[in-house]
Amino acid sequence: MTAIVHDSTDARPIVELEDIHKRYGDVHALRGVTLRVARGEHVAIIGSSGSGKSTLLRCVNQLEVIDSGRITINGEVLADTENGRVRYLPERSIRRILLQTAMVFQHFNLFGHLTCLDNITIAPIEIKKEDPGEVRDRAFGLLKMVGLEQKAKAYPAQLSGGQKQRIAIARALAMRPSILLFDEPTSALDPEITGEVLRVIRDLAAQGYTMALVTHEMGFAREVANRVVFMDEGRIVEEGIPDKMFDDPDSERLGLFLQAVI
Amino acid sequence: MGNRLVDLSAEYVSTLLPGLLRGLRETLLIFSLTLLLSLPLGLPVALGSISRFWPVRILSRIYVWLFRGTPLMLQLFFFYYGLGILANTYEMPCLRLNRFSAVILTFALNYAAYFAEIYRAGIQSIDRGQYEAAKTLGFSRTRTMFRIIIPQTIRRIIPPVSNETITLVKDTALANVIAVPELLKVAKDASNRDTNPSAYLLAAGGYLIITFVLTVVYQRLEKRFSRHEQEAV
Repeated sequence: MTAIVHDSTDARPIVELEDIHKRYGDVHALRGVTLRVARGEHVAIIGSSGSGKSTLLRCVNQLEVIDSGRITINGEVLADTENGRVRYLPERSIRRILLQTAMVFQHFNLFGHLTCLDNITIAPIEIKKEDPGEVRDRAFGLLKMVGLEQKAKAYPAQLSGGQKQRIAIARALAMRPSILLFDEPTSALDPEITGEVLRVIRDLAAQGYTMALVTHEMGFAREVANRVVFMDEGRIVEEGIPDKMFDDPDSERLGLFLQAVI
Repeated sequence: MGNRLVDLSAEYVSTLLPGLLRGLRETLLIFSLTLLLSLPLGLPVALGSISRFWPVRILSRIYVWLFRGTPLMLQLFFFYYGLGILANTYEMPCLRLNRFSAVILTFALNYAAYFAEIYRAGIQSIDRGQYEAAKTLGFSRTRTMFRIIIPQTIRRIIPPVSNETITLVKDTALANVIAVPELLKVAKDASNRDTNPSAYLLAAGGYLIITFVLTVVYQRLEKRFSRHEQEAV
């Protein structure tokens, strides 16, 4: 990649969500949310349950279909609204564009019939058609990075929750995405083992990965994020740098939320 | 022989055995051809019944409803006698099936409906998160189904498939109602001819042996396919 191309993309956000609305029947889950994530940013999305933070993240990769708004990934418009109707790109184009994103789920969602190694390599080999030998080498590197190289041949059922999530992170990284989406990555884990997962995410942040993170771990959000977004009732109520957000919130609702959770 | 008591002497049994073995061969043939056809046929029906396209979904579900909702014997009569009558009426001899073909066609279509329901339940028991993970990794719907979902249903569907298979062994005996010379038919004829019940016992032994072998085979399969679900020691 040339420096010129790199510079021009640097200026542009990797993910742009503009005026996103999402309804589930009568529930208006997202009420006109706009969020941009630039290259190298670590954005933490916080808020109480039902505030719409996970829904918002899941709109990025079409796990939720929006009712109106625009979604742009690396400059390519995935979905847009014309005359009040949302139009998504054709499925094939969406699949191609979404290869630039990777998600880590609350419940890991590892493929139970595949070994850890195969969980990591299946998509790069079968979807991105990369060279199998090269992918395997990369996968072993990632296993080492998450501290689980001895589990390459193990099946997910043989791992602890924290180990599963570290494999899931390795699986996401193997796709070499432009942005990592974390959807409450430690919420399903016992408190004493969240640390091993948070440590991996912290390392990734330090390496400069772009990430959007929905989390209930306020201490972690403050430490890792360079921008925090607070959502309430389907809207972004406040956003800013972590220290300001946590020490001196502008809105009453963020103040009350922080009092309740910290 | 001659008396009407159970007679399992070597002498009498040896007169029955050649016929019973031919019947057993016929039974095994019906059994294996039916499995060979219905196990794969159930998959498109299962996928059809959860299709996003409603005409496909409706057709698949009607198919399952028809074949699960009516007696197997009725279906057998229809495909043998019913089609025979239609063939005469409309002078379309191609509609006429011989006894054996009628049995195989009926059984394959009938069992495909049952297997389709087992597959469908298996597929729908897989967690939504598996689809979501596959989607975020760039898998198409079709590839998700064949690479991620279906492989994980195999272990779960082995017990119900095993049940159906054992039922099929016994259902093959229904072929005797259109005079296919399978095990029960042979035993019945021999018993009537000799006015002696022994042939039924020998036939029962034949069915028991088949079902025993199947039970063992399915137990092994289940074990093999659950390797990845075993927790670490």
